[in-house]
Amino acid sequence: MRSLPMATFLLRRLLGAIVTLLVLSVIVYGLFYLLPTDPARMICGPRCSPQDVAAVSRAYGLDQPIYVQYWHFLAAIVAGRDYSTGPSTVHCGAPCFGYSFETGQSVDSLLLSALPVTASLTLGGAVLWTTFGVGAGIASALRRGRLADKTLTGLVLASTALPPFVLALFLILLFCAYLQWLPFPNYVSIGDDPVQWAQSLILPWATLALLQAANYARLTRTSVLETLNEDHIRTARAYGLSERRIVARHALRGALTPLVSLLAVDVGPVLGGAVFTESVFGLPGLGKLLVGSVATVDLPVVGAVALLAGAFVILANVAADLLYVAIDPRASIR
Amino acid sequence: MSTTALTAAAEASQEPASAAPTGPRALWRTLRRDRAAMAGLVVVAALVLLALGAPLWTAIEGQNPYAYHDNLLNSALGGAPLGSFGGIGGAHWLGVEPQTGRDLFARIAYGAQVSLAVSIGATLLQVLLGVGVGLAAGLGGRFADALLGRAIDLAIAFPYLIFGIALLAVVPASFPRPVLLVVVMAVLGWGGTARISRAQTLSLRTRDYVAAARLGGSSTARIARREILPGLAAPVITYAALLLPANMVLEAGFSFLGIGVRPPTSSWGQILSTATTWYYADPTYVIVPCIVLFASVFGFVLLGEGVRKALDPRAANGSG
Amino acid sequence: MRTRISTSHPRTSHPLRVTALSIAAVSVGAVLAGCSSTSSRSSASSAFSAANCKGGTLTVLEQGSLSEFDPARLYTSGGGQIPALFFRALTTRDRVPGAAGDTVVPDLATDTGEPSQNATVWTYHLKPGLKYQDGTAITSADIKYAVERTFDAQLAGGPPYLRDWLVGGDTYQGPYKDPKGLSSIETPDADTIVFHLRKSEGGFPYLAAMTQFAPVPKAKDTGTQYADNPVSSGPYQFAGYTPKKQLELVRNKYWSASTDSQRLACPDKIDIQSGLDATVINQRLAAGVGADKYAITTDTSIGPTQLAQLTGNKALASRVITGAFAETVYLAFNTKKAPFDNQLVREALSYAVDRQAVVNAVGGSSLATAATTFLPNQSALGYHPYDYFPAGASGDAAKAKQILAQAGYPNGISVTLNYENTDDDGDGPAVATALQAAYAQAGIHVKLAPTGTDSDAFRAVVGDTANEPGLSLNTWGADWPSGAPFLTPIFDGREIVQGGGNFNLAQYNDAAVNARIDQINQITDNTAAQQQWGDLDAQLGKLALTVPLYFPKNLTLFGPGVKNVYLSEWRGTYDIAVVSVK
Repeated sequence: MRSLPMATFLLRRLLGAIVTLLVLSVIVYGLFYLLPTDPARMICGPRCSPQDVAAVSRAYGLDQPIYVQYWHFLAAIVAGRDYSTGPSTVHCGAPCFGYSFETGQSVDSLLLSALPVTASLTLGGAVLWTTFGVGAGIASALRRGRLADKTLTGLVLASTALPPFVLALFLILLFCAYLQWLPFPNYVSIGDDPVQWAQSLILPWATLALLQAANYARLTRTSVLETLNEDHIRTARAYGLSERRIVARHALRGALTPLVSLLAVDVGPVLGGAVFTESVFGLPGLGKLLVGSVATVDLPVVGAVALLAGAFVILANVAADLLYVAIDPRASIR
Repeated sequence: MSTTALTAAAEASQEPASAAPTGPRALWRTLRRDRAAMAGLVVVAALVLLALGAPLWTAIEGQNPYAYHDNLLNSALGGAPLGSFGGIGGAHWLGVEPQTGRDLFARIAYGAQVSLAVSIGATLLQVLLGVGVGLAAGLGGRFADALLGRAIDLAIAFPYLIFGIALLAVVPASFPRPVLLVVVMAVLGWGGTARISRAQTLSLRTRDYVAAARLGGSSTARIARREILPGLAAPVITYAALLLPANMVLEAGFSFLGIGVRPPTSSWGQILSTATTWYYADPTYVIVPCIVLFASVFGFVLLGEGVRKALDPRAANGSG
Repeated sequence: MRTRISTSHPRTSHPLRVTALSIAAVSVGAVLAGCSSTSSRSSASSAFSAANCKGGTLTVLEQGSLSEFDPARLYTSGGGQIPALFFRALTTRDRVPGAAGDTVVPDLATDTGEPSQNATVWTYHLKPGLKYQDGTAITSADIKYAVERTFDAQLAGGPPYLRDWLVGGDTYQGPYKDPKGLSSIETPDADTIVFHLRKSEGGFPYLAAMTQFAPVPKAKDTGTQYADNPVSSGPYQFAGYTPKKQLELVRNKYWSASTDSQRLACPDKIDIQSGLDATVINQRLAAGVGADKYAITTDTSIGPTQLAQLTGNKALASRVITGAFAETVYLAFNTKKAPFDNQLVREALSYAVDRQAVVNAVGGSSLATAATTFLPNQSALGYHPYDYFPAGASGDAAKAKQILAQAGYPNGISVTLNYENTDDDGDGPAVATALQAAYAQAGIHVKLAPTGTDSDAFRAVVGDTANEPGLSLNTWGADWPSGAPFLTPIFDGREIVQGGGNFNLAQYNDAAVNARIDQINQITDNTAAQQQWGDLDAQLGKLALTVPLYFPKNLTLFGPGVKNVYLSEWRGTYDIAVVSVK
C-alpha cells in the first residue's frame, strides 16, 4: 500500500531537487556576472595590458554573453565538452565541470580530491557529535534538576556560544601547542596512513561535535524525560526493571525519529563544506576549495562546489524525510 | 545555523502547541520563577545598557573607540600593549588593543551596538520573512505550497558564503554596511523559520477549531491572523530566541572573513577575529572579548530556553 | 599583518593568493629583543658540509605556493623558491649569504649574457651535457620554444617584460597559433640563443633568471595541462602532485652537480604541503616534532602575535632568519585628479602621515621599517636616503595644516582612500584605519573605501587609468634586485597603460625623466647603474608623487634539524635549494 505513494513522493522530491539546483546555479552565475572583478584579468595577472586581457577573455570564452557561458556550463555537465589545451584538444567526459581558471586543473579532479576530506570530517564528526549529544542528553535527563543536569545543560548550551573559528584555534593551541598531546593537524588520506588520518581529524571532529552536540542533547533530554513520565514506564519501573534498561528500551526509542532526521539534515551542510573548521585546520576539503575560488573569481570551481554543496543539503533533506517515514510509519508525507 | 532550525523544527512538529499561548503577563509570571532565565535576562539587560549607554560610559572613562595610542604599545614586540594584563588601568578599564592602542572598553561598548543591532535586525527580518512564507505555503493551494517549498529548499541549500562574499562585493561601498549585513543575513537565514511555520500551519489547519472557523465563513487572511498566528507564536518565538545568538556568531564569522562591518567601526566579530592570534602575547585581549561575546550569547540562549519552557508546558513539566 | 615572503613576485603572484581566511596572517622581521640576528650562518648540532649533505626528506610547510607550475604562467623573482628546484633558466640568483646574494649568475648558460648594440642584443651559450629528467638533451630551441609559449593567451600570467622588450613581442600570439615562431629569438645552433630587443635593457640577465627562460621540450608540451607534470631540468622531479595540497619531489637522476654550481640539492626527497594556516605553520616549525624537525617554509613568516614567544627562548630565536624582500608599501596619488594635482596637498599628506601607527598596524618595528624613500633600503637597489617632508615618528600635524592653508584649504580637506579589503598583504584595512586616525588630527578627513577582496581585484580598479581613484594604498616589489624594475613602471610616462593594468598611478609623464631612464638602462655594469637609480629616486621624491610608508621585514623559522640556513638577500629569507637535513 505504502510503496506506491512512497515512489511518487521520492520522484517528486528528486525532480524538485533538480529544479532547486538549477535555480541555485543560475543565481551563482548571475551573482558572479555582477561582480566588479573581471575573471580574465585575474587569469592574466595585474601587469596585463587591455589587449592581453581581451585575448585571455577570448581564449577562455569569457567574451561570450553570460547565458551562453551558463549554457556551456550546463551542457558540459550533461554531455561533456572538448577543451583546447593549446597544442591539442582534450575531451572532458560528462559530468564535466571544466577547468579551473586559476590552476588549470580539471574541476572534476579537484572535487574528487576534496570530497574524501570533507566526507572524513563529516562522518567522523557526526558520529562524535551524536554520541556526545545523546550521551549528555540521557545523563542530564536521569539527573534531572540536579546540579549535574544543570551543569551539563549549561555546558552544552555554552558550546554553541563560541564562533567555530575561535573554538578550532583554541583546540589546536590547547592540545597541540600547550599540552602537546597531539601533533599539529596534517591531513593524509585514510588509504595512506589510517593512524595519521585519524590523528589529524580528532580536533576537527571535536570542533564539529562541540558546535553541534547541543541540539542532540536537548532533544534527547526532552524526549527521555517525556517517556520516563509515561504510564507504561512507571509500570516497568514498578516491575523492577533497571533504569538503564528502561532508558535503552523505551526512552531512547521515542527520541530516535527526530534525532535521525536532525542528523540527516545536519550532515548535508557540513558535507558541503565546513568552511571555518576546514580553514583553521588546513583540511583541503570542499569548504576550503570554495573560499579560495570565490576570492579568485574561479567561476568553474565556484559553480561546481556550489552545486555539489547544494545537492548535499537537498539530498540530506530528502533522506531525512524518507527516514522519518521509515522509522515512524504514522508520519504523513505530503 | 540550520542546526538550531531543525531542532526547533523537529520539536515543533513533534509537539504542536497544545494550548493557545498565554499572554505576555502570564509569560512574565512563569519566567520570573525560572532562575536561569532571569540570569539570562540580567545579562541581556546589562548588554543593552552597555550598548545604549556607550557614549556615556566612554565619556566617564575619558576615552573614545577611534583614538590610536602609539605610546602605549611595545613596537618591537609586534605592537603588544605595554604594562601587564593588556594595559588595564584607571585610564583604560579593559586595557588597549594591540597594534593600535585603541581603548578596548570603548571598542567593546560601541561594538555591542553593532552586534546587537545587526543580530536583532537580522532575526526580526528572518522571522518576518519566514513566517510570511511559511503561512502562505501552509494555507495556500497545492501549487503555492510546491513553489514556496522549493524556495525554502533553495534558501536552506544555498551556500551562504558565496552569497555573502559576492553580495557584499557587488553592493556599492556607499550603502550602509550594518543594514546590508542585516539584509544578507535575513536573505540567507529565513528558511528555518519558514519551514517551522509551514509545518505548524499544516498541522494547525487540520484542527477542529480551524475547520470550524473555515466552515463559519472566515476568510483565509482572517484564519491566518486569528487562528494560526497565535499557534505559531510558541515555536517561532522559541526558534527566534535561538536564531538571535546564532546571528551574533554569524556576524562574527563575516567579520572573520573580512566582509563584516567596515573599519573603523567596531564590532565584536572584528575584535574576535584579530584577537584569537594574540593568545600568547596578550591573553587579556583574547579573554575579555571572548567572555563578553560568550556571556551575551549565553544570556540570550538562557532567556530563550526560559521562554521555550514557559510557552511549552510539557517541557516545563519535564524540567521540574 | 601579512603573509609574505613571496614565493614569487609579491604584488602579482598567483601562488600567494592566500584567502581572506589565513587567520594569523603573518609577517616577518628582525626582533629578538637585543639579539641582532641576521645573515650569519646558523649552526645546528653538527656542522654542515656540502660534500656530505646528501640524504633525508625535507618537509616544506606552505600557505599557498602550490597552485601554478607552468613556467610560462609563474611570476617569480629570480626563478622562485620551489620552481627553482625543477626549472633551471639561463641565469639564476647567486646562493651566497647577504648582499652578495643580490647578484645574477649563470645557470644553464655559460655566462650571464653577452650584450651588444647598446644592450639591445643578448647572446647566451648553453653549458655542455645538460639533460631533462628523461635523459634527452636540453637545446637552445627548447628555450626559444619556452619563451614563445608565454605569448599564448591561455598561458598568460607571467611578467610583462617579454611582450614589451622583444622585437615583435607586442603582436605575437604564441607557437600554437603561430608555429613559425618569434624571429627576434635566434638559435644559430643547439647551444646558442640570441635575443633581439626593441630597446636597451642592461638588466636583461635578471629577467633571464625567471622561469619563462626554463626549457620546455616541444614534444612533451601539453599546453594548459603542462603544469600538472612539467619536465624537469633541475635536481628534482615530480613524484606526486595535488594542486594547493601536496607536491612530492624526488631526485632527477639526469641532473648533474657539475653543471649546476647553485643548487646543492641535499635532501633525497622534498615533501611540500600547502593550504596550511599561518599560525599552524609557525607552531609546527617551533615545536619541530617528528618530520617537522626537518621542516621549513618559503611563504610564511612569524607574525606580531608570535614575537613574544621568541624573547627569552634563545633556542627558538636561533632558528629564525631575518631579512627583507625588496618592497615598499606606499600611498599613491593620482596627480590628474583634484586635489592631488596640487603638490602642496600631496606635501601636506606627506607631513601628516603617522608612520609609527602604520608600522604598529602591520606588526611593529620588528616586522616593518618606516620608509621615507620609495626605493627600499637595500644597496642592490641603489638606496639613497632622503626625507624631504619630515613627519617625525607620528606625523607633523601643525606643519601639515599650515601647508594645507597655503594650498587653499584653511579649514581642512576631505579625501577618499581606496585599499584592498584584506590585511594579508600588509596594505589593507589595518593600515588604512591607522592612516585615517592620524590624518584626522591634521584636518585631513579620510573616507575609507575598501576596493576588491584581494590584491588582484583591487588592482583591476586602481590600474584603470580612466577610473583611478585619487588616493590609494599600494605595495610595490622588485621583480629583481635593481632600481630598474622598481622605478620604471611607477614613474616612466611611457608605462602608463590606458584601460587597465597601469602601475604609474601618479600618471606622471616627464620627457626628461623618461630620457634619463633610457640612459640608465643602457648601463650593463650593475654597480654603476644602481647609483644612478638611487639618484633618480631621490630626485623624484621631491615631487611628493607618493607617500612611502614602510618596508616589510621577514622573520622566518626553520626546524631544528635543518642546516645551511642563511639569509639570501634577493629573497629576504633562506634558500630551499641549499638547505640540508643531514
